Amino acid sequence: MRKKLISMLLCATMVATAVTGCGASDDKDTSDTSVKKGTDEGSKSDETVKLTLWGAEGDQDFLTDVVKKFQSTYSDQKFDIQIGVESESSAKDTVLTDIEAAADVYSFASDQIADLVRAGALANLDEVSEVLKKANKTLDDVKSANVSDSIEAATVDGKMYAFPTSGANTYFLYYDKSKISETDAANWDTILAAAKKAGKKVGMTLNSGWYVASFFYGAGFTTGLNADGTTTMDWNGTSPDGIKGTDVVKSMLDITSNSAFRAVTDGKLSDTLKSGDCCAIISGTWDAGVAAEVWGENYAAIKLPTFTVGDKQVQMHPAYGYKLEAVNAYSENMGWAVLLAEFISNEESQTKHFETAEQVPTNIKALEADSIKKNVAVAAATSQADFGVIQEVGGKYWDPAKTFGEMVAKGKISAKDDAAIQKVLDKLVDGVTAPLD
Amino acid sequence: MKVKKMKDSRLSTIILHNVLIGVIAFIWLIPIVWLVCTSFSAFSGMNTHTFFPEKWSISYYVKLFHPDTVAQFPQWFINTFVVACATCVISTMFVLMVAYATSIMRFPMRKPLMNMAVILNLFPGMLAMIAVYFVLKTFNLTNSYAGLIMVYSASSGLGYLIAKGFFDTVPRALCEAARIDGCSEARIFFQMVIPMSRPIVVYTVISSFLMPWMDFVYAKMILNAGVSSKYTVAIGLYKMLDKQLINDYFTQFCAGGVLVSIPISILFIIMQKFYVEGITGGAVKG
Amino acid sequence: MANRTKGTVAAAVSGFFKAIGGFFSGFGTAVAKGDLFVKLSLLWWGAGYVRRKQYVKAVIMTALEAAAILFTIFFAMDYVPKFGSLGTVQAEKVFNMDTMKSEFNDYDHSFKILLFSLFSFVVWFAAIIVWIKNVINVYKLQKMEENGEHINTFREDMKTYIGERFHITLLTLPVLGIVVFTLIPILLLVFVAFTNYDQNHMPPSQLFSWVGFKNFITLFGGGGLTSTFGYAFVRVLGWTLVWALFSTLTTYIGGILLSLLLNSKKTRMPKFWRFLFVLTIAVPQFVSLLLVRNFFADNGIVNTICDNIGLTGFLNDIGLVGTTYIPFLSAPGWAHVMIIIINIWVGVPYQMLIATGVLMNIPADQLESAKVDGAKPFQIFRKITMPYMLFITGPALVTDFVKNVNNFNVIYLLTQDVYTTTDQAMGNSQAQEVDLLVTWLFRLTQDYYNYKMASVIGIIVFIICAVFTLVAFNFMIKGDKEGTYQ
Repeated sequence: MRKKLISMLLCATMVATAVTGCGASDDKDTSDTSVKKGTDEGSKSDETVKLTLWGAEGDQDFLTDVVKKFQSTYSDQKFDIQIGVESESSAKDTVLTDIEAAADVYSFASDQIADLVRAGALANLDEVSEVLKKANKTLDDVKSANVSDSIEAATVDGKMYAFPTSGANTYFLYYDKSKISETDAANWDTILAAAKKAGKKVGMTLNSGWYVASFFYGAGFTTGLNADGTTTMDWNGTSPDGIKGTDVVKSMLDITSNSAFRAVTDGKLSDTLKSGDCCAIISGTWDAGVAAEVWGENYAAIKLPTFTVGDKQVQMHPAYGYKLEAVNAYSENMGWAVLLAEFISNEESQTKHFETAEQVPTNIKALEADSIKKNVAVAAATSQADFGVIQEVGGKYWDPAKTFGEMVAKGKISAKDDAAIQKVLDKLVDGVTAPLD
Repeated sequence: MKVKKMKDSRLSTIILHNVLIGVIAFIWLIPIVWLVCTSFSAFSGMNTHTFFPEKWSISYYVKLFHPDTVAQFPQWFINTFVVACATCVISTMFVLMVAYATSIMRFPMRKPLMNMAVILNLFPGMLAMIAVYFVLKTFNLTNSYAGLIMVYSASSGLGYLIAKGFFDTVPRALCEAARIDGCSEARIFFQMVIPMSRPIVVYTVISSFLMPWMDFVYAKMILNAGVSSKYTVAIGLYKMLDKQLINDYFTQFCAGGVLVSIPISILFIIMQKFYVEGITGGAVKG
Repeated sequence: MANRTKGTVAAAVSGFFKAIGGFFSGFGTAVAKGDLFVKLSLLWWGAGYVRRKQYVKAVIMTALEAAAILFTIFFAMDYVPKFGSLGTVQAEKVFNMDTMKSEFNDYDHSFKILLFSLFSFVVWFAAIIVWIKNVINVYKLQKMEENGEHINTFREDMKTYIGERFHITLLTLPVLGIVVFTLIPILLLVFVAFTNYDQNHMPPSQLFSWVGFKNFITLFGGGGLTSTFGYAFVRVLGWTLVWALFSTLTTYIGGILLSLLLNSKKTRMPKFWRFLFVLTIAVPQFVSLLLVRNFFADNGIVNTICDNIGLTGFLNDIGLVGTTYIPFLSAPGWAHVMIIIINIWVGVPYQMLIATGVLMNIPADQLESAKVDGAKPFQIFRKITMPYMLFITGPALVTDFVKNVNNFNVIYLLTQDVYTTTDQAMGNSQAQEVDLLVTWLFRLTQDYYNYKMASVIGIIVFIICAVFTLVAFNFMIKGDKEGTYQ
């Protein structure tokens, strides 16, 4: 209240000084009205709880529904809940531009959690867990109700920062049964051979750090995140499995140089799928509908294939993430925001979320539903849970990794020149591990 | 002159000349034709196989007027229209006021102020964006049309040069005579200079009216609550091309683009004449 | 236009300082020679007016003084004392179960401290001007009274604001708008260039502080942090200049040629043709450019057509293209050329309109006499039309260049999400070969919150534009041919 009055006063003074800066004039009117306005605005009633909620485009109807239920659950409290559109994948960018202006509750992909926590954007749930009593729960109940990996993905330094809402945020292989047999689909070489025979393409996105890492993770390489936000990376050396980074790159180049391979620009997977040029594509559950539509009854999905390094077959390990529901650390109605976020992530909502948008639940009970078990895409995605990697990287990872992926995709590296490949990897590691500036 | 004309008007050169223009115009229009054609496609995503859609339909125009959570075109149109009208009024006033003061009047701070304007115009506007955002936030104006209008019009005074150039062509003697007759400056401004400067007034009005229809950077920054019904046309359409949405909304985007372009084109055609008169009127006398 | 720019810079600077000098000497005289009430006005702004019975003015000035003092106590004092450190208290909060709300400590917000301190400086600066000006005015009143001249009543004073002081009425609001929405933001970000405002120091949860010239050193390759930053800067700067030069020249020349073509007597239906060209600029850029971007996408329609007619295969054979598609907007070189070509598409109709206007104003007698002398059309163009065009639009050419250096829309809309660099040194600095300084700056703020480097780049852009403008105008003044056309 005091702040607002002052800002109004300031506004008025500014006008006044500017006017008289070149003489004098009467502008008492302006200052009068603006002060009055300040008083009006200040007399807000404390009864209605105002909350904003952000969710992905496809989830708008689902969220409207959940909010309605939330309001009827806590019917003795008046709410004014606004739902806005913000996709999980870009939530961090929007939130960090101005944390205080961001929604009270929003959904984000788990790979953004480190940056969000470091910027202090997320509420520490341990500190506010007391409020869950209103929902007849404790934080431990939430932790035990969900798949343990999802809780781990929501935890930084032993503190829980968000509620898991859906899992299997990963990518796997969709293929056309009529062109590629299930045994062929196990291995890049056979997939590409089959595709070539059918005159079709195999699509994968390489110019994105999210996809390109799967080859390295598979070969036993790692990335890690330090407390100061810098990234660690060992891709230019030899992995614990005894595979050299340069050999991984060579295998990748082997794949990309195959005429049946198509490097798909980040974000264009669905387009490519729709165009009908492909008989196999690496993508996630969000493309299940498109794939089913394009291939009809020949639609199938399976875990990622293996790739050949030397004479060995190496399983690709995808980045495996979760979608989490965040509570803004600067939320005005912190308590209610926490309750709303919890409500969105409870068993009932998760089940509903699967029904409306095919989002795979993290809630253990919700996962047991028949419809989930029977879903082809979900089966493929969850079959990777054992070897999927929760990708831990800092902000400096993405651009160098993207550039590296693009170089591989475009064949800018010669597969014969070991020294050159090593140099590329060294530069990649340099860029990724650089201190934040 | 006449001799020349007769020589030039030989039929073959005329045909050749016009064919040349036709070819250039054709190249220029290809993307526009593609836009219009695609907007009538029956397919929601992008067609990458053929130039013309395989199936024609107006269903995506119909869809534009049946809002869903992403596309609320009628609402966006109204929002933008409101913002544009307000921007237009304020900007035009500011531009004409500054132009008159710097062109017709003489006062000690005139030159320093004009130089200041030149210097400010050299800074990249992008840079100031974050700060503008926080200024608006301080006054509680983010996520409001008032804030957006302020951003579009508050600094419009800096764009006074063309109008000033035009006012410079108003004969000094006329103003002097009016002053001697005891007219106040205000009367000279409103009753003499403005009516004489119709081209530049129209030009300023239209160009400031168009600003909110074109801008997506500031609008995206200021209307950041994610509420689709509050968007302007520019951000609304821009967001349709998000990675997650482009497949379902590309044709709608084209349809929306066509619908926005129609009124703007009409304004442009009107403005074209005044633009030519205004800009050269200003430039010639300088 | 030429008049305006001629000799402004040097003359204005010296004139400006003379004006300031006069201002302060006036103040000195007023204080020294003023009577008691003039001197009292130093403390109580309304004093002098009370003495001369200008009560309304006295009230206004007193109110203003009070406002300035209140502003200082209640607002400025919250922020300005922390300006040196940009804040020391970090945000901490405790959740209160009873109110269901978080309670924050009284934490410092570095950005707000910076912004509001700056704000306070501007207000104080204005207040000091008012204060000095006030004393001078009051002294003037004293003199007028001594000489027995008529002292304006309040009503008469007000009248001057639509009379000889009409410029004040006109300029107040626009200038205020510019100060708040352009000047203060720019100053603010100039200050940010000297702080460490970045991903690791983001308010409200974290604080940032002053670091001196460190960011500038980083940009020019020193500092050892990101050794690639300097490299990326040089590359981006190079492309920015090439782009600005080519885009300005191509659209300028293209515009003139097109307007000559359209305005020729041989053209049938010139209005219709002109309408067709204007149509392309009437479609908002974000629509037309996003569309063109998809048009030329790697698997877009143009590529399909090129593939079908065998162009892609041909280019493959001669080694121009190493992929199964033509990378119109996704490979360096190709993208650079395409961007300039697409810019011709958007820019030429605009220039055509301007050129049309200018061409119509060419003094008819000159053309006439040239024709009588038997000059050929090309000679007329070279000897009369072109010099005239250059004279009229020369200054606009300079402004266009500056505008193109800052041309965010075209580059951003055409390359965002489409172009991926394969130059690792660029990638490591979050830059791309097709970036202009402004788009790079934008990405640094939007995706990496690297406000400090973005500000540094912004300042560099300003310096480039300023130097170019100065040099260009000086050059033009030397080659002054003003008399020729007047």
